[in-house]
Amino acid sequence: MMNGPRLLVVACCLLALSHNKLLLGEEAAKPVDYLTEIKPLLAQRCTSCHGAETQKSGYRLDSAKSLIQGGDTGEAIVPGKPDESFLMHAILGTNGATRMPPKDPRLTDAEVSLIKRWIEQGAKAPEGDLPPAPAEIKNRNHWSFQPVQRHPLPKVQRSDWGRHEIDAFVLARLEAEGLTPSSEADRVTLIRRLSLDLLGLPPSPAQVQAFVADPAPDAYERLVDQLLSSPHYGERMARQWLDLARYADSNGFTRDQPRLIWKYRNWVIEAFNQNMPFDQFTIEQMAGDMLPNATPDQKIATGFHRNTLFNEEGGTDPEQFRVESVVDRVSTTGSVFLGLTIGCAQCHDHKYDPVSQREFYQLFAFLNNADEPKLEVPTPEQLAAGSLAVREELRNKVKELEAEFEKQKPEFDAELDKWAMSLTVEQRNMLPIPVMNTLNLALSMRTPENTKALVNHFRALEFVRQKFPTLQQIADLQAKEPVFVTTLVMSEREKPRETHIHIRGDFLRHGIKVTPAVPAVLPAIPTEVQQPTRLDLARWLVTPQNPLTPRVTVNRLWLKFFGRGLVETENDFGLQGSPPTHPELLDWLAAEFVANGWNLKAIQRTIVLSATYRQSSKFRTDLAEMDPLNKLYGRQSRLRLDAELIRDVALAASGLLAPVVGGPSVYPPQPAGVFDFTQDKKPWVPATGNDRYRRGMYTYLWRSSPYPAMTVFDFPDANVACTRRTRSNTPLQSLTLANDQTFVEFAQGLARRVLLEVQGDDTARVSAAFRWCFGRDPSASELQRLLKMLEEQRAAFTTESAQKIAPPNLPSSITPTEAAAWTAVARVLINLDEFITRE
Amino acid sequence: MPHEQHARMSAQDQALQATTRRHFFQQCQVGLGSVALASLMNNGANVQAATPNANQAALKTTHFPAKAKRVIYLFMAGGPSQLDLFDFKPKLQELNGQVIPESYVANKRFAFIKKDAKLLGTKRKFSKQGQAGAEMSELLPHLHKVADDLCIVKSMATDVFNHGPAKLFANTGSPQFSGRPSFGSWLTYGIGSQAEDLPGFVVLQSGPRGPRGGSALWGSGFLPTSYQGVPFRSGAEPILNLNSPQGIDATRQRQFVSAVNDLNQLRLDAMGDPEIATRIAAYEMAYRMQSSAPELMDISGETKETLELYGVEAGKPSFANNCLLARRLIEKGVRFVQLYHTDWDHHGTPGTELGKSLDERCAETDRACAALVQDLKRRGLLEDTIVMWGGEFGRTPQGEARDLVGRDHHIEAFTMWFTGGGIKTGQTIGETDEIGYNTTVDRLHIHDLHATLLHLLGIDHLKLTYRFQGRDFRLTDVHGKVFQKLLA
Repeated sequence: MMNGPRLLVVACCLLALSHNKLLLGEEAAKPVDYLTEIKPLLAQRCTSCHGAETQKSGYRLDSAKSLIQGGDTGEAIVPGKPDESFLMHAILGTNGATRMPPKDPRLTDAEVSLIKRWIEQGAKAPEGDLPPAPAEIKNRNHWSFQPVQRHPLPKVQRSDWGRHEIDAFVLARLEAEGLTPSSEADRVTLIRRLSLDLLGLPPSPAQVQAFVADPAPDAYERLVDQLLSSPHYGERMARQWLDLARYADSNGFTRDQPRLIWKYRNWVIEAFNQNMPFDQFTIEQMAGDMLPNATPDQKIATGFHRNTLFNEEGGTDPEQFRVESVVDRVSTTGSVFLGLTIGCAQCHDHKYDPVSQREFYQLFAFLNNADEPKLEVPTPEQLAAGSLAVREELRNKVKELEAEFEKQKPEFDAELDKWAMSLTVEQRNMLPIPVMNTLNLALSMRTPENTKALVNHFRALEFVRQKFPTLQQIADLQAKEPVFVTTLVMSEREKPRETHIHIRGDFLRHGIKVTPAVPAVLPAIPTEVQQPTRLDLARWLVTPQNPLTPRVTVNRLWLKFFGRGLVETENDFGLQGSPPTHPELLDWLAAEFVANGWNLKAIQRTIVLSATYRQSSKFRTDLAEMDPLNKLYGRQSRLRLDAELIRDVALAASGLLAPVVGGPSVYPPQPAGVFDFTQDKKPWVPATGNDRYRRGMYTYLWRSSPYPAMTVFDFPDANVACTRRTRSNTPLQSLTLANDQTFVEFAQGLARRVLLEVQGDDTARVSAAFRWCFGRDPSASELQRLLKMLEEQRAAFTTESAQKIAPPNLPSSITPTEAAAWTAVARVLINLDEFITRE
Repeated sequence: MPHEQHARMSAQDQALQATTRRHFFQQCQVGLGSVALASLMNNGANVQAATPNANQAALKTTHFPAKAKRVIYLFMAGGPSQLDLFDFKPKLQELNGQVIPESYVANKRFAFIKKDAKLLGTKRKFSKQGQAGAEMSELLPHLHKVADDLCIVKSMATDVFNHGPAKLFANTGSPQFSGRPSFGSWLTYGIGSQAEDLPGFVVLQSGPRGPRGGSALWGSGFLPTSYQGVPFRSGAEPILNLNSPQGIDATRQRQFVSAVNDLNQLRLDAMGDPEIATRIAAYEMAYRMQSSAPELMDISGETKETLELYGVEAGKPSFANNCLLARRLIEKGVRFVQLYHTDWDHHGTPGTELGKSLDERCAETDRACAALVQDLKRRGLLEDTIVMWGGEFGRTPQGEARDLVGRDHHIEAFTMWFTGGGIKTGQTIGETDEIGYNTTVDRLHIHDLHATLLHLLGIDHLKLTYRFQGRDFRLTDVHGKVFQKLLA
């Protein structure tokens, strides 16, 4: 869009030009020589940005061929037609082009006129004036683009610490700084740490007891193996992966309608539980639909890139939002697998990394050819019952009836019009959104989809069916159709879409056409692949030659176990990212990971077996001064639990947890008033029974209004890939743990447990509750403080106030005051810092 | 620019702060609101899991002296029609019913109308108000009274024409739901808040539904969630989970907080992690909020005159009520208060037309808007508080082919008004062409508006940055120029 000042500039230029024309009239006929007049001028004024070293906008002006051919915006010169030549627009700043050169001194009128005449005369140049060989790719030597290497183990002085290679690398760094590692944490801390890290659930007191008492030298290893084989391992891994996949149960934007894609979540959990190799895991999610004889599961896996948003607002351009989705898929692929901020190259060449805008759209081209359907996923029972064939038969009958109904169409249309005219405003606004949208549009403005929505709605009305019995028959048949769960998938089109560069990221402004390719700075796709597809991209991401994917993946795992990555900028391994604190260790992990067949359980086992991982997380004054951010791992980190884990540990401590793995999303209670601030009120009927007590990861996630008890603990917004959660510490979190009805319910659950399951005096009961929450026994002062609280509460509650907070349905032998006092104590426990912290 | 004035902090700074934080919490009897030892996080290069707390500032001092200390943003969701409220076009009246000349609409896209839509004159009467002769329609009789206190900008422009993206753009500077922080989040991140026991960024809502776009409009994006806007609901529990559970009175809640904090203190002694000290402070502040927030919502202490000025009916949630609450919030030191009033989307169907529907929206808001300006002024608060009014876009000079009279979404020209700290009032800025389609003079684009507002608040928009995904992000992205004419 042109603004005032620019128009003015243009006008002045045009004036200046025509003025020159008059002046130089007689010169117009004089032939311009490319080699002596044009090329030196361009070399002097343009090629520092558009030459062999740098090619901004993919354009180089150092040879006649490339000069004419143009860059990302397409052909730059139309011989004989300066007015149609992009180059002229660029040097004049006309037709929406940014004026070049962008800074003073600009080209003089004489220079502009010279170029113009050369183009007018046919832009003649010697044929052999080809671009000189391209310069070396800039920053090719950046560390993360180099192949993964195994380095020799460093020499360390201390021989009594360390269990394997990881520890050697860590110890060497600590020793170099004159620091020592911390001692091993106690066993209670270790089992709680392992259990939270690997399963996202705390150990039960019995499990703690067994581990603490296990005298075998391999007790720790066996514990790790036992945890890795738990079905909850898949849940924990999956929820972290879902952050990357930007998983949610609704479409986002303003309408934010529900979507079904939980089958994808199930797939992720299953894949981790089966320890699917990470290369296969990647390929199936990126392009499972394109694998030979793709199974339903492999298709479900492609839901990874269907978690993008979808705008259902009236008056939108579907293509605009489709393109936005593809852009997001490119960026997500970049940050999740490559650890590169490829998305930065959407509008212009990447400012720092060797990724050009053209390369962005070459990646875009891989992902631009998918249709985005729903896949029906019959259950095994449905398949066995032949449900698909049953439906086919029913549908054939419906087809016949529909043909019959065609005859009544005019009569039907008349009824529809009559009805539409009769609606009041209120009635209209009560209609389903697509129907309301249609009625709000003039006839001429309605799309076929609009009309279909309206007709379908009308056909379902009771009085219409009475009037047209055929419709009732059709409806009856349709009601008999077996219903299958659906999930969103990718499906490659037979005929690929054309992909163009979008000039400045604007999907309406097409530059040159591009074909699929990977950035030149990275290893190429094997040359025998003729026309690479999304599947080839998927395979390329996990070729052993790709130095980024394994590094990025092990780095994210390290982040999970230590609270910080070896590369701190876990989503940016480019030039602006931070270099690894332990480069040799990072490479060792990456090499091990790939050598073991991208085995996720194995590499995590290795990490948690290390002495580095097992250290105490206690703060040390010497470290606080020398390494305040714990970048050298002289101790473990204390980490506040992730949002959904806070719910999970409270569920576990309260004894209420329903440990069902997988399935559709559920609706635990949430405070009233959550949907006051959304455009549409969302359906949210709090679950009863098991679904009320499921792990946090199964909570239904509306993008426009996510579950407040999770958002407050930094649950991501699920609009773009989240590669790391922040960990804030705020009063709103305190309000949630203290007052949210669900957490009160958890406190009641814990109190009930204490009262019903623990025999003995107050000390025994307080200690038991403490162990349910923290795995350990309280210290003397902790015990004393809790007993004081208990006494206070016994005195404070009246029967009436006690009844409001006491757990329901306790035996009558327990007075309401006693039950309320224990609930108050339980509430304190689940509000403690330690409760929501992994030590 | 000296380094320390940048919002980004070095790892060393952060570490230092982390170690001094414990001291602060133990020695100083202060609320989090005034604790300026930012445990600000840089999400990128120099991250430490130092924890951000509510209301902490990233900037030690503002870049230049602040003319304004806080903002009240009256967001008219849906896109009010500037052509029926502020921008009177005689030529448009004349051409009423004619097809818009193609030169205006070549290469343009619209949400609903086609290129051949017909021009639509206004049915509203306009007059010049105040000494400066500000043009306003008859729909805003109360605003007439404060005309000279306003700076009306008729040349606003934005980039996108669908509600969700445009609202997001007005709030975050990006039309995509891609995790960008909102204005209020940037502001509280930059200069913190003076509120001792309330959030620094509060969102209020009136009208038949919440604004389209939902929580992303006041989200903190990649900034720590402590900078998110906190929605205040009407009724007895303005903040989710503010009330103690059933059966827990104030005494028992105090006992609860004391027990939690005593036990946390024991843990702090054992582990030495300053995060635990932060959590102790958070529980104290949460406890104080439990009484301060209801106090804030309780308007029974306001005079009858004040209630009438705003048009507040006791116990009835309304835009007027929210305007009064906005004043009460900024009195408590809240940095950014945003009021959404929905249903300005006047396309021309029953309930969304420029007749009765527009009358109603204006009746719901006009008196309270004017009252807010008057009330702040007489209390001396207008001097350093910015009040701004506007929607995500305006409406087209063309009418829409629907049952009733309406206009489509328009991004090339619309009107907003501003007043308060550092704003040059008593003027109308900007002009549009003869049919009100394009801005012709003093175009004020959303990015430039953001830059200008930050400037008034003492912040250089180029220097308030946050490292994310390898890049220093800012509210104005790669754009933004301070719009001098708005400044006093």
